Amino acid sequence: MKEVAVLGVGLHRFGKTGDAIVGNKSVTELCRGAVDMALKDAGVSWRQIEAVTAASSRFSGGKGWGLNGNDVVEDIGSTGIPVYNMSAGCAAGGNAFNVGYSMVAGGLYDVVLVVGGEVMPKGMIQTSGNEEVTDPEFLRQRCIGFPGPSFWATLARRRMHDYGTTEEQFAQVTVKARKCSVGNPFARFQKEVTLEEVLASPYVSNPLRLFEICPVSNGAAAAIICSKEKARQFTGKPVWVATSTVATMTFQDSLPRGLAGPAPSGASFHTEAKGAVLKAFERSGISPKDVSFTELQDNTCYYELAFPEEWGLCQPGEAERLVAAGETTPTGRMPINPSGGFVSFGEATTAMGVFQIAELTWQLRGQSGARQVPGAKVGLAQTLGLGGNATAAILKR
Amino acid sequence: MAQSSEPCVPGLFSSDGGVKVLGSRCVTCGTPYFPKATSCHNPACSGSKMEPCEFGGRGKLWSYSVADFPPPLPHKYDKPFKPYAIGVVDLENGLRLVGQMVDPPEAVRVGAAVELVIDTLYHEQDKAFTTWKFKLV
Repeated sequence: MKEVAVLGVGLHRFGKTGDAIVGNKSVTELCRGAVDMALKDAGVSWRQIEAVTAASSRFSGGKGWGLNGNDVVEDIGSTGIPVYNMSAGCAAGGNAFNVGYSMVAGGLYDVVLVVGGEVMPKGMIQTSGNEEVTDPEFLRQRCIGFPGPSFWATLARRRMHDYGTTEEQFAQVTVKARKCSVGNPFARFQKEVTLEEVLASPYVSNPLRLFEICPVSNGAAAAIICSKEKARQFTGKPVWVATSTVATMTFQDSLPRGLAGPAPSGASFHTEAKGAVLKAFERSGISPKDVSFTELQDNTCYYELAFPEEWGLCQPGEAERLVAAGETTPTGRMPINPSGGFVSFGEATTAMGVFQIAELTWQLRGQSGARQVPGAKVGLAQTLGLGGNATAAILKR
Repeated sequence: MAQSSEPCVPGLFSSDGGVKVLGSRCVTCGTPYFPKATSCHNPACSGSKMEPCEFGGRGKLWSYSVADFPPPLPHKYDKPFKPYAIGVVDLENGLRLVGQMVDPPEAVRVGAAVELVIDTLYHEQDKAFTTWKFKLV
């Protein structure tokens, strides 16, 4: 396996259709912004890109077939390079990064573009449009009516039962996240919110409120990755990919993802996320205590409490206390989502895994301004997507 | 005049001799499935023979949430929308089943004992369409 470097990264600021940030830009236009920025950042020209791995969207662009990478290549200039379109729900950006990384590490290509962009439909995401009685997702929505936020609310409610977590403690996570977003030029929301404002926002799915759940956003992210030998031509101080992993959920996973499953004898948690992160620790030889900061998928503030515990970054039941003590802020002992996270960016689903690589890279270079984690050496990123998909990546300097 | 009712999706549940959902179970490892599975999904099990199995009776709420806003289609509901609780229930016979709660969200608690019932989900063309739900015992 070859060592792999991140040479350059770029983002298009996240926004909402029709606003002053993204207006009515297409996925391809958003991606162009991110790719241009990443190419400049890397000092790489378009003609030097040898392959593209792209997160595949089902919402827009991609010719209706998730061919988002082909759209990007046609737009910037068809050079005949191979394009890999990766589909993994909200984990697609992480998957695209993993496939790009694997091919550079395996010696197939030296310089690869990883890209993800999204223009999201308004409102709650519909998981399935099919009215097929053989489709479990149709049955779940027709017979029960179990929207995405209610899945998260079920986990949050269970945590309240297990650890006595209060609604104020969930709200504190959002207050911290939005504080981080101030001065992040790429975040959709860049203003602080108070505990009172969070607690005054309406329930989307009790116990979770509007400000505690990420909205859908439009945005794009890009990264140029490169083999070690070739990287020396472009920069003297690249950021290194310690590892990149993918996992799917296991049979023992007993979260309510469908209509029913076997009742478990033990705890219920995201087996795909834990699988990807633990595999990343194992493969890189990096342990939780070596992690300077983490960018995790906070579709809801619940995950910012549960995931660090499930992965061994802190003890079970300890997260609320760490948040209250400021330990999850960029200057704390266990910084989580210094970017502001999904709660501040909104979720441009397939862009998110690449967005995290951009934030990790800036943090490790010391370019993150007010949200900088002092002396950051190792960053952990994690995504999670429909179908039981998850990815993790560890970057280091 | 009694209003006619029918299941929102046929073949998933029954109230003959007690309310139950109609699933299956692996003959070899005993893993329960709802809806019916055609083969066992347990990677530790080499068996593939399934038998029909009914799941009903009582259970315990593992957790719950509230739909405070109406879910998008294909969900259907009577207007005006009334927020409802959704229970995730560990039934006594080994199945973890998701379903709406009949009871108002304020009354629901993690760990509560519940039973499976059939109840109306929505009305269309003067007909009541039913589904399985849970009720606090």
